Amino acid sequence: MTTTHDSERAEQLTLLRESALSFAAKASPLHRARALRQQTPGFDRQFWAALAEQGWTGLLVSEKMGGYEQGFAEMAEVVAALATQVAPEPVVPVLVFAGRLLAHAVPSDLATRLLTEMAEGRTLPAVAWQEDITGAKDRTDQAATRLERQADALLLNGSKRHVRPGAGADGYIVSATGPGGLALVWVPADTADLTVTSQPLADGSYAAQLDFNNVRLPASHLLAEGPNAVAALTRAYDETLVSTSVELLALVRGMLSMTQDYLRTRVQFGKPIGTFQSLQHRAVDLLLQQELTASIVTQALALLDSPDSDASARSAMASRVKSRASDAGLQVAREAVQLHGAIGVTDEYDLGLYLQRALVLAAWLGNGSQQRRRYADLTQNATEQEHA
Amino acid sequence: MNTTAATTTDWNALDNASFRATVREFFEKHFPGEWRYPQRRLRWSEIGPWYLKLSEKGWVAPSWPTQYGGMGLSPEKLIIFIEEQERWGVARAPDMGITMVGPLLINHGNEAQRAYYLPKIIAGEHIWCQGYSEPNSGSDLASLRTEAVVDGDDFIVNGQKTWTTLAQDATHIFLLVRTDKSAKKQEGISFLLADMTTPGITVRPIRNIAGSEDFCEVFLENVRVPRTSIVGELNKGWTIAKALLGFERIFLGSPKQSQYALARVREAGQRLGLFEDTGFVDRYTKLALDVADLGALYGRFIEQVKRGETLGPDVSMLKLFATETYSRLADLLVDVMGSSGGTPGSTALPGGKTDALTTFYNARPATIYGGSNEVQRNILAASVLKLPS
Repeated sequence: MTTTHDSERAEQLTLLRESALSFAAKASPLHRARALRQQTPGFDRQFWAALAEQGWTGLLVSEKMGGYEQGFAEMAEVVAALATQVAPEPVVPVLVFAGRLLAHAVPSDLATRLLTEMAEGRTLPAVAWQEDITGAKDRTDQAATRLERQADALLLNGSKRHVRPGAGADGYIVSATGPGGLALVWVPADTADLTVTSQPLADGSYAAQLDFNNVRLPASHLLAEGPNAVAALTRAYDETLVSTSVELLALVRGMLSMTQDYLRTRVQFGKPIGTFQSLQHRAVDLLLQQELTASIVTQALALLDSPDSDASARSAMASRVKSRASDAGLQVAREAVQLHGAIGVTDEYDLGLYLQRALVLAAWLGNGSQQRRRYADLTQNATEQEHA
Repeated sequence: MNTTAATTTDWNALDNASFRATVREFFEKHFPGEWRYPQRRLRWSEIGPWYLKLSEKGWVAPSWPTQYGGMGLSPEKLIIFIEEQERWGVARAPDMGITMVGPLLINHGNEAQRAYYLPKIIAGEHIWCQGYSEPNSGSDLASLRTEAVVDGDDFIVNGQKTWTTLAQDATHIFLLVRTDKSAKKQEGISFLLADMTTPGITVRPIRNIAGSEDFCEVFLENVRVPRTSIVGELNKGWTIAKALLGFERIFLGSPKQSQYALARVREAGQRLGLFEDTGFVDRYTKLALDVADLGALYGRFIEQVKRGETLGPDVSMLKLFATETYSRLADLLVDVMGSSGGTPGSTALPGGKTDALTTFYNARPATIYGGSNEVQRNILAASVLKLPS
């Protein structure tokens, strides 16, 4: 019975993959990504509307809110297809990170409204939770940003970093510590006393720093509080780690494929350089990293889509896959440049688009080393028990 | 002996969970505790009794068809059988007869060969070793020079084989020999079976860097082998040898060895208080994730086998990553042992004994045998990445 279900789903995934790949190749050629670099907000709102028309902005959203209630495996097909074209739209930061965080914060009325608008492609929410310059001290269960309650209002003070998209978001879901513990608060982008400073990232997109200086918000903007807020943020964070790994895997595939083509066609010393064993062996090591990443991404997506997955297993898996994908992304990027030679370091050659995006995504939400620290912390108890 | 039990039980009819439970119970109850997780190849004098016990149970040849005394397991059931062996740390007995000669004769031998050899393999009466590598033919196996010349009803074999695992315990050897010197290198090779007691065969064990004698040199001097001992057609041995590399290849990539080594590193780390040391925790976690991710990659190929698909050349990735992860674990173990890293055998640490070097020694041949990792990379470059030659 599950087999029939599985094979039906596999078939649907294949169809979705084909349509997403063909859409992305047609609507988002690499020169589009190139042209949008350093052009605030760094992506195209009309292209976003086209994604909404495809139904992809509502893919993960429940049917009640106008979405399609699909799984992470389905979302991954869209994410991968767009990443293959290095499309700059903040699909994972908005639809996965913010979208899932709102979904976990439902039944808040505000969350419901925001999700509905997000599914329609009208509103782009972003998540603002990190505060540390390297991210090493950030945890999903705490925040230095302070939330005070004053009569019917909320008062917010503090700073947030590494917010993506760093320009063009319509508002932010901000984590802060308040009287009820960790709180998640909706802050529209045009709120008074909020300063948004966009910082350029390597790939030509932006991250933002947000400064809250006695920012006043209506009490209804409190989305979640206490253990619910921690659980929602942690879960959305883990889901985003996996989805970012999907993007990194697509970049790895793109870079390795370009490198393969180059090794087959570039002639030096009278033969294609791909005939040289030392280069062949280096290319094989990249293939190995690609396939390792692919194996774990598949497992991680299945875990997210499984109805009975538990929170700690999800977190460990998410850190594990992001650690592999980040390191694979950077290793393949470095080696792809070396195997291309000097052409690989020129801005006009497309390999650079992939490399710059890989740099951004490997660092975002914690790089390989940071994810391994988190994995070690998460699994330490388990290891001790196993050993006892 | 109870051979009828083996032929009448349809193991594939059992559901997976019951089959697994049955196998697990037998291993846990009957496998000698002292030989669990051995860190070297065991000699026939040590592990022979287990082989005979399996034979008596009808379980010695899990992959063979029941008509030849095997269990006739489907790929899925065979994987469960092997997983349970690995889980319990069941040592490998000299199994060349089971994994190589049996399938070879079943697929390429003649009726007389099957009738003579197969029952003796099942009974543990014939122990086989593999005569492939030669002093000048390792990774480039097809360059082998051991020669067989027809003389009446016999072949006369001259040459030398090496790295022959446990030849000192074997009663028989299967040989790749050159039968046509004028043909291109892969085309003049034939497959021969020989009794180790034939005059002219001399075995000399080779002591390895770990101090044990796992493999041997085998000298062949005017060895007379009946012409009926050829398997398949004359000069077609290479094709047969290649076809033998069935899905057993996947087991060179099993994560079990690395999981075992990781547990030893964890144990040493705990005994030495190293989990307080961020530098160690970082290195350990990176390797722990390599082992976990190796498991994911392995699982992908296992799924393919279970679906009855033929494994492609991409399975070479598994061997690369499995053996290189194992090797990195061995390096870390030697490293954390510090000044005791050059001491063979067990070193007493607070809380137990740790062996610094056995893993290191085991890791050396792992990246060489079964096609060196360099040869595996050549295969992947050509067959998967389609790079030019």
